[in-house]
Amino acid sequence: MKFSVSKEKLLEGLQVVQNVVSTRTTLPILSNVLLQADASGLRLTTTDLDVGISGGIEAQIEKEGATTLPARRLASIVRELPAAEVVVEVDSKNVASIRCGQSFFKILGLPEEEFPPLPKFEGAKEFTLKQSDLRDGLRKTAYAISTDETRYVLNGILFSFKDNKLTMVATDGRRLALVDIELEFARSQEVEIIVPTKCVTELQRLVGTEGDIKMTVGENQVAFEVNGTLLVSKLIEGNYPNYKQVIPGEAKDRVTLERDLFLNAVHRVSLLASEKSNSVKLVFSKGNLEIAANTPDVGEARESIAVNYKGRDFSIAFNPEFLQAPLRALPDDEVFLDLIDEMSPGVIKVQTPFLYVLMPMRIS
Amino acid sequence: MPRVIFHVDMDAFFASVEQRDHPAYRGQPLIVGAPPDQRGVVCAASYEARKFGVRSAMPSRTAAKLCPQGIFVRPRMDVYRAESAQIMEILRAATSCVEKVSVDEAYLDLSESFATFTDPDAALVAALPAAKEMKLRIHAERQLTASIGIGANKFLAKLGSDFQKPDGLTLIPERDKAAFLRPLPVRSIHGVGPVTAHALEQCGIATIADLQDTKANLASVVGSWAGTLKARAFGDDDRPVDPSDERKSISAETTFLKDTDDRPTLRVALREAADDVAHALEKEALGALTVQIKVRYSDFTTLTRQIRLEDPLADAREIYRMACYLLARDRLVSAPLRLIGIGLATLVPSRGPQQLRLPL
Repeated sequence: MKFSVSKEKLLEGLQVVQNVVSTRTTLPILSNVLLQADASGLRLTTTDLDVGISGGIEAQIEKEGATTLPARRLASIVRELPAAEVVVEVDSKNVASIRCGQSFFKILGLPEEEFPPLPKFEGAKEFTLKQSDLRDGLRKTAYAISTDETRYVLNGILFSFKDNKLTMVATDGRRLALVDIELEFARSQEVEIIVPTKCVTELQRLVGTEGDIKMTVGENQVAFEVNGTLLVSKLIEGNYPNYKQVIPGEAKDRVTLERDLFLNAVHRVSLLASEKSNSVKLVFSKGNLEIAANTPDVGEARESIAVNYKGRDFSIAFNPEFLQAPLRALPDDEVFLDLIDEMSPGVIKVQTPFLYVLMPMRIS
Repeated sequence: MPRVIFHVDMDAFFASVEQRDHPAYRGQPLIVGAPPDQRGVVCAASYEARKFGVRSAMPSRTAAKLCPQGIFVRPRMDVYRAESAQIMEILRAATSCVEKVSVDEAYLDLSESFATFTDPDAALVAALPAAKEMKLRIHAERQLTASIGIGANKFLAKLGSDFQKPDGLTLIPERDKAAFLRPLPVRSIHGVGPVTAHALEQCGIATIADLQDTKANLASVVGSWAGTLKARAFGDDDRPVDPSDERKSISAETTFLKDTDDRPTLRVALREAADDVAHALEKEALGALTVQIKVRYSDFTTLTRQIRLEDPLADAREIYRMACYLLARDRLVSAPLRLIGIGLATLVPSRGPQQLRLPL
């Protein structure tokens, strides 16, 4: 196998796939990137057995073939190469010679046959989404994914294809983010899957703002295809909890807030939220919202915002980080905050189909 | 030197503090704990409420059914803790060797004060005035009543404090201890929970007398605990009073009658352990950041596995869920178990703001 390729293209290609490579693995082959050179160019593939990613790059193929090389080592070499053009030649013992300008590297690979193949899909359901829609949905939900290993069904985003829309949901049991995306598909295509965090992270790196992305849902795996790059992942098995039941119905009080102003105020005040309690208090009175925090023996912070609030005086406490996360992810100028009482979840909404349910903190 | 151990147990502590501070509650069936229309349990019930069958750790809903006229109040942990500190001060006037078991309970070792005695029972009797004085001071200074048990060891002292509640004072003499214990049910022995009691019953052992007289091999029922159990049945206990304060961990475990990997049996035992440790947490107003599961196999190999959490845990069901998770994660039920238990560590005060959770 022999090919020449631009340093820049090779590095880009490696960067797309190298995140999947597991750093701690008992299977050495999983630290390697599969390189396949054929008439269509050079294909790079990595997998950790849960998530696999494969992308093609332009290359001048002198001799077709395939091998696997240590992914991180290869990337660190390519990054430092002195010239624009790289020539890679691999012998029958999977020893790769890399030449670039006056540099020469020899690295030892493993045979292609040892590399676990990416899964094949059969009887799968296909969906075509706008990249911008998916990007938007991921951005508005991914931060709410649970990292609690004991509730593994929450360690991902629920993709629910139903009633001609895709609903994306993430929750960690304390807050829940939800996005609806209009999408046409046959009733027979309806399906609910949980895409694991690692795949979500890779997907976020992959999706752009222009064009479509193809999503294929198989029995227990999912594939995303965009611009010649294929991302395949196992799904989280199990039932996602009934998230609909935690979405409060009618709000008693709705306040409209300038997102930036609100976000910045919460952020400033949270500087004086104690590490232990980690809460900020929202104090509502007629026409006014005061955000307050204090740490015993340290100090306190307060900031007021004029709001269209007409209800009774009341206050509610939230974890400032949980309050800020959706505000950072939303592009809207204006957000609505719906509240019931100090022990019931608050809801952040915008003009588009988005919902964020946040449980308050009980101050006793 | 004869041992002189006191067990001081405040009577219906939380409820008594509330009745003291709120004259309107006096003589009323008062229930301290979650409101009856909410999920949660009874922390304490006044003696008036106990007449209706209301007990600690019972779901508030059940309590409300048993005692519809009950007055429910939320616990004021800070007040109880401050009260507890005051009472511990009174106890420390008698000896510095005070082991605080919980907010309303302590063991005292007064052996030093009676070191000149040679007859164990003479020493115990000589300690009676000190116990009376203690009760009087608690009543005069804190307007609360305590029950005190006096014995030559912790086990007997605890039995004694429980013997004539409320406002009791019971001395269990060394000479009569075996006879004193005979009529009591095996459940009176601390550590004999429903599972062990049931296991013993299967062998025809219902009372401590049965336990004293049995020729059966107890090890086949309760494993390595057999020796301890037999000793307790005869009123023997050499555990020292440990004055180092602060609880570092809470645990509860069950030894099975027969080694088992039967899931329903394991679940029952685990739920029971979770309820026990959760109740202990609630009583101390603590939360746990570490949950540990302990299993022992037929060959006595004992394994523990633990998980560290982001938010302190106090809820019995969550503790149970974590325990199940650890069992599943590390495939611990790979063979029949002779023991299963839950331990909680990294205990933190549960006061201060608490993140509420979505009911998912």
